Amino acid sequence: MFRHNTLRYAVLIFLAGAALFQALTAGYFGLEILTEILVLAILVLALDIVAGFGGMVSLCHGALAGVGAYAYALLSAKAGIAPPVAMAGAVAVTGAAGWIIGAVCSRSHGIYFIMATLAFGQMAYSYVFEAPVFGGDDGLGGIERLDLSLIGLDLNDSRTFALFCLALLGAVYGAAVLILRSGLGRSLSGVMHNEQRMRALGLTVWRVKADVFGLSGMIAGLAGVLAAQHVMFISPGLLGWTVSGEALVVVILGGLGTLVGPLVGAAAFVVLKHELSAVTTYWHLVVGVILIAVVISRANGIFGWVEARWGARIERRVADATRKQQPGEVARDA
Amino acid sequence: MAHDLGFWTLQALNALQLSMLLFLLSIGLTVIFGLMHFVNLAHGSLYALGAYFAASLAAVGGYWTGFFLAPVAVAGVGILLYSGLIKRMRKSGSMAQVLVTFGLIFALLDLTRIFWGDLALAIEVPALLDGRLGFLGVEYPTYRLFIIALGLAIFGALAFVLGRTQIGAMIRAGVDNDAMAACLGINVERLFFIVFCVGCALAGLAGAVAAPLLSVTPDMGLQILIPTLIVIVIGGLGSLKGAIAGSLIYGFVQTFGAVLAPQLASVLIYALLAAVLVIKPVGLFPAKG
Amino acid sequence: MLETRNLDKSFGAVHVTRNVSLKLERGERRVILGPNGAGKTTLFNQLVGELTPDSGSVHLAGEDVTALPVAKRARRGLSRSYQKNTLFDGLTVEENLGLAAAVHTGHATQLWSDSLAKSEVREIVAEVAEQVNLMPFLHAKVSEISYGVRRQLEVGVALATRPLVLLMDEPTSGVGPEMSKGFHDLLNNLPRDLTMLIIEHDMDLAFDVADTITVLNYGEVVFDGLPEEARGSTLLKEIYLGSWENA
Repeated sequence: MFRHNTLRYAVLIFLAGAALFQALTAGYFGLEILTEILVLAILVLALDIVAGFGGMVSLCHGALAGVGAYAYALLSAKAGIAPPVAMAGAVAVTGAAGWIIGAVCSRSHGIYFIMATLAFGQMAYSYVFEAPVFGGDDGLGGIERLDLSLIGLDLNDSRTFALFCLALLGAVYGAAVLILRSGLGRSLSGVMHNEQRMRALGLTVWRVKADVFGLSGMIAGLAGVLAAQHVMFISPGLLGWTVSGEALVVVILGGLGTLVGPLVGAAAFVVLKHELSAVTTYWHLVVGVILIAVVISRANGIFGWVEARWGARIERRVADATRKQQPGEVARDA
Repeated sequence: MAHDLGFWTLQALNALQLSMLLFLLSIGLTVIFGLMHFVNLAHGSLYALGAYFAASLAAVGGYWTGFFLAPVAVAGVGILLYSGLIKRMRKSGSMAQVLVTFGLIFALLDLTRIFWGDLALAIEVPALLDGRLGFLGVEYPTYRLFIIALGLAIFGALAFVLGRTQIGAMIRAGVDNDAMAACLGINVERLFFIVFCVGCALAGLAGAVAAPLLSVTPDMGLQILIPTLIVIVIGGLGSLKGAIAGSLIYGFVQTFGAVLAPQLASVLIYALLAAVLVIKPVGLFPAKG
Repeated sequence: MLETRNLDKSFGAVHVTRNVSLKLERGERRVILGPNGAGKTTLFNQLVGELTPDSGSVHLAGEDVTALPVAKRARRGLSRSYQKNTLFDGLTVEENLGLAAAVHTGHATQLWSDSLAKSEVREIVAEVAEQVNLMPFLHAKVSEISYGVRRQLEVGVALATRPLVLLMDEPTSGVGPEMSKGFHDLLNNLPRDLTMLIIEHDMDLAFDVADTITVLNYGEVVFDGLPEEARGSTLLKEIYLGSWENA
């Protein structure tokens, strides 16, 4: 069950501060990287909700984000719907897609669940790739960003757009915490710990899984919409399974089931990717080796590792404190 | 659409050839999973390695050198992976395995790029198998017929080994219940090792025979991985019957789908997979109920 | 309150439930006795819907529930505990009870409020914790409490859905005779209107709680009556002593 602790608050405040500082001071390239991190962070929060708190390891979250991106592009650029409405529409479409996938896959577990979600993701990928309305391999261009000039914001300015994404990430984080702390989220973690018992207690397990997967899909869809607005161009590659795989890698590198960890993971992953690809074209090799090392070490990612050490220290301190108290008590008893 | 019988025969042969190639890949993956409960996403990368080894060896000693030695070389890589990584991941959950082998995909992808470069390699079809052969009233490339024959031969050999020999009985016992098999005095560790190596060799063989048909590129392993996974999930993990059934279903749906409903062809197979998982969440012929 | 009519189930050639008809009145406490492999747990699984019988029917509070899935039967008031602890291992005792109570109060699927913080849920948790002596352990994780306390929690989780009928599969399985006695006192103190069906292996312990006794042997009801009658029954002794001697 999700809980905040001092360390999590501290890391959150640090991350928010660093992102804000970067957004206000960085140049064009720094802002691009920051926005990439923020959008990825929204996507991996969506994935952590289902994978870390529901045991539903999804390999279709990249595709869900892609569905959101394409839905926004079609609604705004092709159907001429106003961007805010198109954005809401795209999020709704992805939520519905997520709900259906969650409902259909609710009976599968372990590797079968991974494969089933992979199948749905690839289905979306192939469809987008083949259907002419999506522009096929060439993708779609001319995607507009949201117009916030009413409140005096110009999102075409990369600094404003980065701040806009940061605000949305904050909102999404808050929403994720609320979901996990709701009755639905509590039941979800019950299902993860013991699905059979939750069913025996009278819970309609598939509905809980589908509902949470739908909510997670909406968040993934939002990430997709922002990615589309950021680059202003989309291609089917966005829906490929390696994108979903990378999102999973980020969640694992950061710390599954911690919400804060995936944020750390997103920042580390994007920075590492940019730093490495500046030095070598073989950055996949480095990422692969790091991933293998993290999984073999059995630590729950970067943040999970820190948290475990931090927890051990606190416990030691508590143990020390009780040991110091005990002699006094013994003396009093005697 | 008016097509004559010859057209359909041709399509059926195409479908069969694709099925056999996928069978060579999926059988290793599925038996490794059935026996060791190990999910090896890097199986496709081993196939790519097989193609590269075959291409390099063929350049030195001709096609058949590559054909025979590439599987051996890939099995060698398999031994390294097994003793270095996979052995210690055996008891981990399926997610840890998926992630480690996902990392392996990344690493092997770049390693092949480092050793062989980014450009596509090509292999010539050997003189013996070049040209076309009249078959069931159609002219069909001899090399593709060779792949079909090879796939069927391997299927026959594996069916014999698994069904009629002592080691086959041991493997089936291990798939059924490895703890019980160990109690019966079967050296399960050694069995795992042998099966893993044979699975890798078959992946290498698939890469070697596929090389002349496709261009050999670093990402060919990634491209074949998804079809292979679909095959074993539709078929049901762990069984020979599932691997061959899944391969045939994939080959025919994909090939005939492309002819009959080009718009839907690629979606069709994924829809089929989703349908199988909904109706029978453990595939059509799983090794255990 | 709970009734089965001609329940029958086979696994291949093994006939595990033979034409079982049971009837529990409201508030009745019935103990099912029988040697290992008599089909007690299989019968339970058919009652709650984890197994589908080949023929026959299950009725709960007058309604035929044979076709209903596990979750729906549970929501109609049928709750069970397991012979092997089936708890939420990483969570605290309080959370274990809260998850169950939230399903009962309908907060388990709500998005707008925290089910565990709801006063209705907290009341049930406190009440059940009192009933099964879990008060001192509320904030401990399942991994931090002893096996005996886990057995109490196993029953507590089933109780927290506020059932009409409580099925308990060997609640004292694996705990010593001393603790088992305490466990049965605890069951005796539960509200009188709660209908209970309890699988018990130990005959003497069964007499502590039973209003009525059913004995199963090879999937068949071989005795159905009052504890006093059971005590004198030679048939029962034969089945039990026979199984003891074989064991």
